[in-house]
Amino acid sequence: MAFHKINVTINDDLEQVVVPSNMTLMHMLRESLALTGTKNGCSAGECGACTVLLNGEPVNSCMVLAVECDGAKIVTVEGLAGKKQLDPIQEAIVQEGGVQCGFCTPGILISSHALLKRNPNPSEDEIREALVGNLCRCTGYVRIIESVKVAARMQSVTT
Amino acid sequence: MTMNTHPSLPEFEYVQPATLAEACEFLASHAVEARPFLGGTDVFVRMRDGFLTPQFLVDVKNLKGLNDLHFDPKAGLTLGAAVNMNRVIASPEVKAYYPLLAEACRSVASYPLRTRATIVGNICNASPAGDTIGACLTLDGVLHIHGINGPRQESMASFFLGPGKTTLKLGDVVTAIHFPIPPKGCVGMYLKLGRNQLSDLSIVGVTALGYPDSNCKSGYRFRLALASVAPVPLVPTQAETYLANHSITPESVHEAARLSTDACSPIDDVRGSARYRKQMARNLSAKALAEVWKKLN
Amino acid sequence: MAKTDRQDIPSPIGENSPRIDAREKVTGAAIYADDIQFGNSLLHARIKRSPHPHALIKKIDTTKASALPGVKAVVTGEDFPGYIGLYLRDRYIFCRGRVRYVGDPVAGVAAISEEIAEKALELIEVEYEILEPVLDPEFGASPKAPLLHPDLGQYAVVNFIFPQAGTNISNHFKIRKGDVDSAWEKCAAIIERKYRIPQIQHVPIEPHVATAKVDETGEITLWVSSQSPFAQRNLIAESMGISQSKVRVIAPYVGGGFGSKAGVSMEALVVAIATKVKGHPVKLLLTREEEFYTAFVRQGLVAYFKMGCDENGRLLAMENKFYWDGGAYTEYGVNITRASGYSSSGPYEVPNVRTDSYCVYTNHPVTGPMRGFGMPEMHAGLEQCIDELALKIGMDAVEFRKLNCLKTGSTLVTGSKMHATGLSDCIKKTAEAINWGTKAPPSAPNKRRGKGLAIMWKAPAMPPNAGSSAWVELAEDGTVNVGVGGQELGQGVFTVMAQMAAGALGVPYESVRIATPVDTRYSPYEWQTVASRLTWSMGNAVANAAKDAKRQILDTVAEAWEETPEDLNIVNGVVISYKSEREIPLKNLVVYGLPKPGDQGWRGGPVVGRGKFMPAYVTGLDPETGQGERAVVHYTTGAQAVELEVDLDTGRIEIIKGVSTFDVGKAINPEMVKAQMEGGFVQGMSSALFEILQLKDGFVRNPSFVDYRIATSADTPRELQAYIVEVPQDDGPWGARGIGEHSMVPTIPAIANAIYDAVGVRLEGPPFTAEKVYLAMLDAGIVK
Repeated sequence: MAFHKINVTINDDLEQVVVPSNMTLMHMLRESLALTGTKNGCSAGECGACTVLLNGEPVNSCMVLAVECDGAKIVTVEGLAGKKQLDPIQEAIVQEGGVQCGFCTPGILISSHALLKRNPNPSEDEIREALVGNLCRCTGYVRIIESVKVAARMQSVTT
Repeated sequence: MTMNTHPSLPEFEYVQPATLAEACEFLASHAVEARPFLGGTDVFVRMRDGFLTPQFLVDVKNLKGLNDLHFDPKAGLTLGAAVNMNRVIASPEVKAYYPLLAEACRSVASYPLRTRATIVGNICNASPAGDTIGACLTLDGVLHIHGINGPRQESMASFFLGPGKTTLKLGDVVTAIHFPIPPKGCVGMYLKLGRNQLSDLSIVGVTALGYPDSNCKSGYRFRLALASVAPVPLVPTQAETYLANHSITPESVHEAARLSTDACSPIDDVRGSARYRKQMARNLSAKALAEVWKKLN
Repeated sequence: MAKTDRQDIPSPIGENSPRIDAREKVTGAAIYADDIQFGNSLLHARIKRSPHPHALIKKIDTTKASALPGVKAVVTGEDFPGYIGLYLRDRYIFCRGRVRYVGDPVAGVAAISEEIAEKALELIEVEYEILEPVLDPEFGASPKAPLLHPDLGQYAVVNFIFPQAGTNISNHFKIRKGDVDSAWEKCAAIIERKYRIPQIQHVPIEPHVATAKVDETGEITLWVSSQSPFAQRNLIAESMGISQSKVRVIAPYVGGGFGSKAGVSMEALVVAIATKVKGHPVKLLLTREEEFYTAFVRQGLVAYFKMGCDENGRLLAMENKFYWDGGAYTEYGVNITRASGYSSSGPYEVPNVRTDSYCVYTNHPVTGPMRGFGMPEMHAGLEQCIDELALKIGMDAVEFRKLNCLKTGSTLVTGSKMHATGLSDCIKKTAEAINWGTKAPPSAPNKRRGKGLAIMWKAPAMPPNAGSSAWVELAEDGTVNVGVGGQELGQGVFTVMAQMAAGALGVPYESVRIATPVDTRYSPYEWQTVASRLTWSMGNAVANAAKDAKRQILDTVAEAWEETPEDLNIVNGVVISYKSEREIPLKNLVVYGLPKPGDQGWRGGPVVGRGKFMPAYVTGLDPETGQGERAVVHYTTGAQAVELEVDLDTGRIEIIKGVSTFDVGKAINPEMVKAQMEGGFVQGMSSALFEILQLKDGFVRNPSFVDYRIATSADTPRELQAYIVEVPQDDGPWGARGIGEHSMVPTIPAIANAIYDAVGVRLEGPPFTAEKVYLAMLDAGIVK
């Protein structure tokens, strides 16, 4: 099997990685780069725990080949926070109690962050729809949905 | 059932052709061992499950033109094969002229998956459950295909041969789907019944499109397409003809729903029984037709 | 701290302290078992599994697999003769001679990559002689069924489990209370029903993962996503015939457990493989698909209920028969049978009860503990019967429950007395919150609206002597490090332990840390993180440890100040004297002690408090009658209600509103208690509406998220209310008892009762899918 040398920007750092054809973006992040905040929950694009931003849009990183990311920009949960402060959605989900076991949390944060970027003031229905691909078994989603609302309010205050 | 799903993707070679011709040639010369892919949302899953074992995955999504979304008020809409579903949903032209297409896309899986999923991919998988196929059928989609003998076009209506089987030949790459400008005053709707509220595959899906048409006795033409009730996405032509010839009343809508149910040949599977699917084909057809009719008036 | 003065509840007990683990979990910094980096010496394990539900292994040939380049070890059952199991040692680590379910581990491979390990699996040749499978628990319990465990009589078993040698019954629990036979004629109304509850899966979002390394001296280290590091140490050591001290289990954060990561399951496989490749860490990560059919699943249940009441609605008798589908091995599940037996009256006072609860071997996936431990399954039927009985005798279902439910001092089904309980308050509050007795119009003409309510009880199901221990250590800056052996699964136990340590010691919450990850080499002993027992049991241990530390500190200061410890206290991290009004911050003394005057030496020194808790009062039950002094430590009780709509066109159910009220004794962190109630409600709702392992001929037909659906963000009710009732537990820390599991116990019957209220149909069992509801309405003529 062939290996490919790719250049990819991850959380603002340019990385050069050698990846086999069959390596997924999720495996590259977790295994080649030890960015283990991105979680492996199903490897089938169903649970959303591995959600990252690929060129600004959320994807299931288990359903993207690493080699396809040559020249791409990736943001993982490790890259959400600024140098000094958390992203509003991180702040909100802590405050609202939207974290329990924490395994779905990175994916939830990425999906929510992306939602708030394309729609700064989402309705409850829009939040539910945006998170439908991020399974959570602990919280029952109530506090997660609330967190997104709170983050939207935080953002509107700061901008 | 898939007992021995691989932990990750099995080995294959990733091939990125520079041109369409190169892609077609490679696919034609590696008949069994190569497969084209766009977003991979279906092919990766089936490779993990061991159903597909390609030696080469040919990435066609970056080929010239495949990412173009082009609208012309006269000619209609052309979606490059690699245009993902979220782009379709977000497109103002789609919203204005083809809301049914956006509605169908929105019913597919989740936002992150739709960043990768494409309408053309959905069509080429030729699953009877394909959520966007009904919209493409009723909107008279035409596939643009590049084969070893050059480009050609194929209508959606004759594209599906069986579950996973289409008229595509070795070396074919679908480059785009084109939609003519929809009929004036048309109203469409996709009713999808899944196990969950959103994100599931359909147990039954019904696409209905209606528009005023003076060539019809009833004054209206209705188009219908049903998902997950037959080996291929189903167009119940008898129901469509019935509504063209009978004035639209609650009774004729029910009769059309009955005819569309008669055309179904669903199976029992993990998602639902044939008995339930028949019932739902009827109820959802009736509901979709009634809702469309309501909006037409 | 058996007795506490509740007049004086210190901060931050009862306050909504922020989660101690939240920040690291939102930044991606929190480490889970699959995140640990092992470098290049890591090997990957894959498991060869049985493709048959029941067969004899005639021959295994591993030669070709062993010869494959990159393969470092191939193991089979021949290498590991020891049995393993929690209550009943009925399984080998790898199968020996016989396979009993599709997925049963037959051989294991360690290789330099997962791909090579997989290729090696294909090269292992196994010859089977296929046997007739047992696919139904009721049939399995009958003499006609083929015997799945011919050696059942020889298995090691704890003294409160009763396997029936020569049958497939691995436990038979009986209740014989009063005189059921003659009670029926006194009943004015009797209901008899049968229910079938399917197997479901826990679906933690983090699949099972374990990495094991064995060093040259045979010492084992296991890094694992685990609810039970200590139980795993014990069970693996026993099975391998080595000392517990030679097994070290390191257990970082758990990405969801719900019981599936309790006891021991796939962890033993990877340890066994690692013994053959000393020096190499070997990792086994279950695929999501394997998670569905080879990790624990919840037991299936076929339940028969008969219950009757007098003309005033007072319950007179119950006769229950439970056939638990225990699957291929029931080493843990046997105790579910027992728990459902000693709780088989539901939360009601019933004078005459006869129960037979059977745990039956079948050729289905291995069942084990899952959130609720038999209670959601049992209550699913029982609480529907209660509704039906109330209807039959002409009483409102809530009034019927208020009349019959357990009150403080009620006689329990096991003959002992109910401790102080707020169950009646829970019913009242829940009924009020759902506006019981009123009916809102449906949101559309093709919909029907209904309300349903159900109540529950559940005790921690565990050995009588399940123990907890803790230590509390102070650092130079006065911060506090708390050692515990219980696990953070998301339920919030680390936060609650930090609150308890802070409260008992007298320091700010922010200055407490939990010593993580749990490591059996350094962490104090904890039986398992199961049974909703940690807030109560480990909480007692932590509070005791904090008090011990406090005593040490106050003794030192009292001596230095020539005062008595009784006049001193620690407030906000400062030792103060109520008498002399002197004060000294903890940081000035907790490591170096205090100097004696005049440079005459020092007193005190590093402070380490220790604490333990083990219930000493749980008695056995008579094996023939199930009667005894005190079967369990306590019962948490509560109620749930739902309002829902049924779509007449499709049968689809939408839960509009859910209400939960539970008596938690004392909410140490009220918002986190409510979060448990919400999460449990939605998990219960998911099991009621969507979840089923579709088993056919022993195969799981839907082992993936594509076809095993769980509730998503779009399915969760728009209104979810949670209320706390606090009737203190006499031996709970500040009166607290558990809540984690209870919150999904009454959800299925509450929804079933609401469906009946809406459209008048009842189903044999969940999930109440749109299809089942629609076809039931069709068959009943409600829709055409």
